[in-house]
Amino acid sequence: MEVTSANRKCPAVTGSSRKIKDNAADWHNLMLRWEKLNEDGFTAAENITAITLTRSQSNERLLLDDPPSPPSARSLQPPLSEQPGGAAELQEECCKLQDVVHKMVAVVTKMERLMTSQRGVQDLEEFHFGPEGRNVPLFYSWSTKHFNEACGFLLASFQQELRLKQMILQEVGHTATSDLCMVYLSCWLQQPFLPPQTRLTLEALLLETGDPQDTLEALLLETGHRPL
Amino acid sequence: MSNPALISLHQALKKGFQSLENNQKVWTSVLADCSPLMVSLGNLAEQSRALSNVQISNTPLRDFPDLEERLRFKLLQATDTVLGKLNEKMSSLQSVRDSISNQVFAVFQHYEQNTDSLDLLTVTERSATAPSVSDMLEWLQDAERHYRQQFLRRKTLLQTLRADDFSLLELAPKRWKSWDSPSAEDHIKDTLCKVSFFIMSQ
Repeated sequence: MEVTSANRKCPAVTGSSRKIKDNAADWHNLMLRWEKLNEDGFTAAENITAITLTRSQSNERLLLDDPPSPPSARSLQPPLSEQPGGAAELQEECCKLQDVVHKMVAVVTKMERLMTSQRGVQDLEEFHFGPEGRNVPLFYSWSTKHFNEACGFLLASFQQELRLKQMILQEVGHTATSDLCMVYLSCWLQQPFLPPQTRLTLEALLLETGDPQDTLEALLLETGHRPL
Repeated sequence: MSNPALISLHQALKKGFQSLENNQKVWTSVLADCSPLMVSLGNLAEQSRALSNVQISNTPLRDFPDLEERLRFKLLQATDTVLGKLNEKMSSLQSVRDSISNQVFAVFQHYEQNTDSLDLLTVTERSATAPSVSDMLEWLQDAERHYRQQFLRRKTLLQTLRADDFSLLELAPKRWKSWDSPSAEDHIKDTLCKVSFFIMSQ
């Protein structure tokens, strides 16, 4: 469920707390968007590996000079030079994947902006209250520094995961060994740089800044862990 | 048909078949939920095996030093989640099996307590709508045995799995499927059809 300002309660929140609260909601929305992109990208990556592996297998067969089917049956198929070997299809899927990665870059750029604005809030507090920051927490218990750390952790995780995705985008179309292809797909799907702590950090962030009941409902509405 | 022992045994048999019918539906639906989970398990094992086969330091992924550990962790976590869900399903299957076993045991106990008043002719006699008592007891026993065996086989299969034995995990979905026994399931459905008039009769 998207958290928008319309279904946000407590309109009285202003200033730094307003900013932090909005940032938390934005983190939530961006992470939802990322998950959606990840699913789309996986479909494309899966298609790419399927095409490249089929191609490399048929190349191997040619190299071995071992016709897999009797000539009569083979003559029914167009010769390999005419048959694009799924080249157009491969191109199309690669474009799709590239598109997904571009969108992921945009998501991470927005996350970076959130981080900047979070740092700004802290700078402002230091300006107002000195290097110790405010002594009364803005919400329940977290200090502004704590928010910074949480956002920093999320940002670092997504930046690293994005680097991995970019690497997969470059390599997945050129890999002919099935094991390595599988590892690329597995990396894409399992997102090794987004450990369970990222999800927990987001939940903590939302619980700290929001009405606990609303937050829990929003989190429960999302689908939980998706098995492969 | 005025034999009171026979009438009460008929009542017990009706209850037994009704319970079999309900439990059979639950069993089928729980088993259907298990198939995608088993497929997931096989997929995850395939991914783990691929990760073990690849020397990450010889691939472009070497730029990510802790990638292997992290991916391994994620795969184990996902496997764990799937196994947890399968475990829940097994508990449901177990309660179906227990329910059927208890019901069938109760019918047999009822029969054994009344054998004195049920002679051979009575238990083998059948009518247009009611199969004979001996047939029905046999069918119940067949069904009970089927669910007992099915449960044990599947439970054993899951218990022999080990998180680090990828080949076993990869084969698991196939072995799981190989325990499917459509003929036995059909047999039980046939049985339920055969007794349908009997169950409906007063």
